Amino acid sequence: MIGTRAEAGAPARVRLERRLHVETRRSALVRIAGLLVALVVTGILLQASGRSAPTLAGEVFRATFGGRFGLEETAVLATPILIDAIAVAIGLRMHLWNIGVEGQFYMGAWAAAGVGLFVDAPRPVLLILMALAGAAGGASWILIPAIARAYWNVNEIITTLLLNFVAVSWVEWFSIGLWRDKEAAVVQATPPVGARLPLLPGSIILHVGFLLPLVLAVVFFFVFRNSRWGFEVDMVGGNPRAAEFAGIAVRRRILSVMLLSGAIAGVSGMVHLSGATGRLQGTISNAYGLSGFIVAALAGASFFGLLAGGLFIALLLHSGIVLQSAGLSVYIVLAIYGVVLIGISVGEMASRYRLVLGGKRDLASGPKEAPP
Amino acid sequence: MRILLASLRTAIDAGTVVVLAGMGELVTERVGVLNLGQEGLIGIGAVAAVIVAEGVTSPWVALLAGMAAAGLLGFLFASSVVVVRTNQVLTGLAVVLIGVGLSNQLGNNYQGSPVVHRFVPFDIPLLADIPQIGPALFRHDVIVFLSYVALPVVVTFLLFRTRHGMNLRAVGENPAAADAAGINVTAMRLLYTSLGAALTGAGGAFLMLSFTHAWSPNVARGRGWVALAVVIFAAWRPSLLVFGALLFGAMISLGFIAQQQNWGIPSSVLSMLPYVVTLALIVLPPALGRFGVKVRSSVAPAALAQPYFREER
Amino acid sequence: MPAPAGAPGQLVVEARDITKSFDEVLALDHVDLELRIGEVHALLGENGAGKTTLSNVLAGIYRADSGTVLVDGVEHHFRSPAQAIEAGIGMVHQHFRLIHPMTVAENIHLGWRDTPQFVTKRELIERTERVMGELGMHVDPSAEIWQLSVGEQQRVEILRTLARGARILILDEPTAVLTEQEARDLFSVIRGLVEGGRTVVFISHKLNEVLEVSDRITVLRDGVRVISRLTAGATARELAKLMTGEERELLEKSRTKVGDRPVLELVNVTARGSRGFIAIHEASLTVHAGEIVGIAGVSGNGQTELAEVATGLRRVDSGRVSIEGFDNTNSAPRRFAEAGVGHIPEDRLGVGLVRSAPVRDNAVLRNYWKPEHSGRLALRRGRISEFARRLVEAARVQTRSIYSPAGYLSGGNQQRLIAGREALVAERVFIANQPTRGLDVHATQDVRQSLIDRRSAGCGVLLISEDLDEVLEMSDRIVVLYEGRIVGEFPRTDVDRERIGLLMGGHIGPADAEEASV
Repeated sequence: MIGTRAEAGAPARVRLERRLHVETRRSALVRIAGLLVALVVTGILLQASGRSAPTLAGEVFRATFGGRFGLEETAVLATPILIDAIAVAIGLRMHLWNIGVEGQFYMGAWAAAGVGLFVDAPRPVLLILMALAGAAGGASWILIPAIARAYWNVNEIITTLLLNFVAVSWVEWFSIGLWRDKEAAVVQATPPVGARLPLLPGSIILHVGFLLPLVLAVVFFFVFRNSRWGFEVDMVGGNPRAAEFAGIAVRRRILSVMLLSGAIAGVSGMVHLSGATGRLQGTISNAYGLSGFIVAALAGASFFGLLAGGLFIALLLHSGIVLQSAGLSVYIVLAIYGVVLIGISVGEMASRYRLVLGGKRDLASGPKEAPP
Repeated sequence: MRILLASLRTAIDAGTVVVLAGMGELVTERVGVLNLGQEGLIGIGAVAAVIVAEGVTSPWVALLAGMAAAGLLGFLFASSVVVVRTNQVLTGLAVVLIGVGLSNQLGNNYQGSPVVHRFVPFDIPLLADIPQIGPALFRHDVIVFLSYVALPVVVTFLLFRTRHGMNLRAVGENPAAADAAGINVTAMRLLYTSLGAALTGAGGAFLMLSFTHAWSPNVARGRGWVALAVVIFAAWRPSLLVFGALLFGAMISLGFIAQQQNWGIPSSVLSMLPYVVTLALIVLPPALGRFGVKVRSSVAPAALAQPYFREER
Repeated sequence: MPAPAGAPGQLVVEARDITKSFDEVLALDHVDLELRIGEVHALLGENGAGKTTLSNVLAGIYRADSGTVLVDGVEHHFRSPAQAIEAGIGMVHQHFRLIHPMTVAENIHLGWRDTPQFVTKRELIERTERVMGELGMHVDPSAEIWQLSVGEQQRVEILRTLARGARILILDEPTAVLTEQEARDLFSVIRGLVEGGRTVVFISHKLNEVLEVSDRITVLRDGVRVISRLTAGATARELAKLMTGEERELLEKSRTKVGDRPVLELVNVTARGSRGFIAIHEASLTVHAGEIVGIAGVSGNGQTELAEVATGLRRVDSGRVSIEGFDNTNSAPRRFAEAGVGHIPEDRLGVGLVRSAPVRDNAVLRNYWKPEHSGRLALRRGRISEFARRLVEAARVQTRSIYSPAGYLSGGNQQRLIAGREALVAERVFIANQPTRGLDVHATQDVRQSLIDRRSAGCGVLLISEDLDEVLEMSDRIVVLYEGRIVGEFPRTDVDRERIGLLMGGHIGPADAEEASV
């Protein structure tokens, strides 16, 4: 506008406007952008601390993709993360933040171990029983927070979080104490469980459990698109009062979604127990639940994004092993993880909100002479 | 009886970290921000204190270093959630990861070597001479006394007796109204989130300069998470927070005693106790409320964890 | 607060050539305004005419794209409400900016330069009492905001603004949330302020009030100033024409015979509101097939609770709710829907729609479970889309596609969607709570038509509206609700508007007749 003069010192106004609906492509791209920025920042910091980032990256690459074993290790690592992520993602459709997947994982593993150690049955039957036990263990672990949330509106983040610590101690009690393998003195775990998941054909360590997240992702994708239950869950997530108006039993849905989430996390524990570790150890999880939570929170509603994100995180964690040999402790990986998380969070933020740059309309009002 | 008194002493000491971190989070939440990163902030505060303590003679300097380091991380967190408006839950978790990761990495070299210049317990004259409970209550180091007595008084005064505190509470309840009243919502949130983080860092520093006074991995040991729970339990009131922290400390000290006295309860079980009790304290009041038993009303700052967007100006 | 200087009648604020756009919408088009000392100046116009936008510019909340604002002859370019207050212009909005868990005294002192650094509760209360004394308005300073009535909350807002030195007070639709009595009280407060030398800008779309309380009127329409004139001598009809640009046409209605069959019966219903207080007190009401029963009353007297009780969204403490003779007391919402009860809720976005969900999903929100739309486990997406398309077309909802989120629709289209959907559910009873609030002329007509159509089809319609004109025009029978009780009933043929107004304000005795005239 000719004749307008910006007021001295007035910055261009920037406004954030919320989008109601984000196209998946944009949302994915922006998150990847955030991720890349975070990685670049990490690289710079590593460089500054006297290490060669490209070399490290190269080593990580080689260790993971260079051979079959690296790939399988990463996939084994990815499995519990992905299943946990799916468990969280289901809850997130109703804005329920189940950060307790870690604890539910532990309890699922414990319940499955209980069955696997003390029940005698042919392998397929035993595996099914263990899976059921795992689901039950996980679901019962989330029961109290679920009831508290559905009926008394108690925030589920803190309640499920606290139970994580209890679960870890609980499993520790059993794996080092009550059920300890007395014969193998060095091992701080239970004896091997009665049944193991078969390996994928031709694999060295990769077990069939790796297929579960893929199956679950496909199943739930269709469930939320086409099923009545999925519709109701999404309506409750969108607006609980309108859902009530629609005749949906909101509190029962909250309960069922949370229990389902817990059950899946419990199965995740069982899968990792019978597929990967074979014994119940005190450290059966290496922050898989936390990673799963983060992956799910960042992937949004996209199951595909979830799979991609989970695999990436597995890669990141796997690289920790490599980085250790370069003199960095595994803790640095955690820190990198955190930086990546922030990077992607910023990306997520950018995709959900639209940046509107203030144009001329936001400058101070016009010249002293009023136009005719 | 002697055991009981000793446990009281330990409870007070153990609870100090929770008081500091809890008060830090209380202030942060009062201004409407949810900072889940307490674990990481405790770690950062601790490691900074340990590193600085090596080179100085005064524990106060180390304490300040811990507060500054945690305050800085807190400021980065605040910038992210208040200015850029990233999701507070995720960013808080990122703080945990960064804090725990960095502190463990840096603290590695200091593992096991005790801090030399630290805070020493002293007696409060007269009060410490009270038979039996005197030493238990009144023989502690200065940080403990400050945390349990001075800190809640200061925070209560700030929140309820000053104009500034009124503005602070307004921001947490209704940032739109506060903004309309001319209060700078962004500045308030940035300031108090950072200060809250610094306070949490003091808790971490305290661990190194008094309580355990030597580094070990994962030094916070879950106390950051308990601090979050205790804030809810205390209904965001400073005086109740102290009580909650003390309760938690009591749980920990029971654990120590059980081990010492060989009560036969495995340490795993005991370590569950604080969390179970905290959980009960959070779940029971609303549950009982539903059944007609009024325990206490717990009202969160209405705008907690919601980013504030001002409409077009 | 020093008494404002200057003689009555003198120009105190002059706005020249104010223009403001939001994205592509031109909200104000070269608008002028002159405000004088000691006058009550009404800004009259329909929703969206630009009244609030203009006021926001004066009060420093928006910055105009072009134009100038002069206060006492001095040009100002307000960059914030604080600057506007310093120049003496303050605004009280429709949605109060109060902190509910804090006290009146705290709210008044919030963000106020004069507030001392260190305060005690008692000090704040004393200071507040002093301010109230000077201004002649009183509210309990130690009460917390959530405990106050809406009228009292409004008074707190006004006090806040005046305490900071506002000489020009802008009130945005102040009576929208008040009872008749509270509105009367407000008018006397306004008179008092103006006699003390201040200026009050009164934004409204209610003709009667404007004629009663103002000295001068400015009519805005579509962002343009149509006229500014003295109130003396103006008529409601003329103003209405200026506001809408046309004579208000009466709706086409074929008068069908009202049936005898009761379709909705409430018998001695008592129910509580969300806060726990009794909202409806032993109310009895019958709606017959083929009739429109209108409930007149200001929002907050139990209307919403009444509608909720008749739709399954609220439980009763005692009493009976029957649909076509069948007892449905405390049934679930779905039972009521199956019994043929449709409901346009007062809170459109809070209850009626899921904003993030596509229009398609919102269209079937109330019948997705029916066999034609879903099997036991899976939805029949094809049928649902088909249904949604037909509904959108029939209800004249303007949307790019049935897949865009309902939140992207304009308010009028959202209401068309809800009304159309609920009309299909309403086979026996149709309950509409404030159905045309905030809608433009066309949307209003569409929604009202759907009510009339249902009535013609033999439905019983319960129309709840604050707009007395709407109730009078559309109803076969009018019932007045005050503080949860049915206090009066009038057949269409025996309407006494003045009496209804009094009942709405709680004047139940026969001898209470207040002047409510031009």
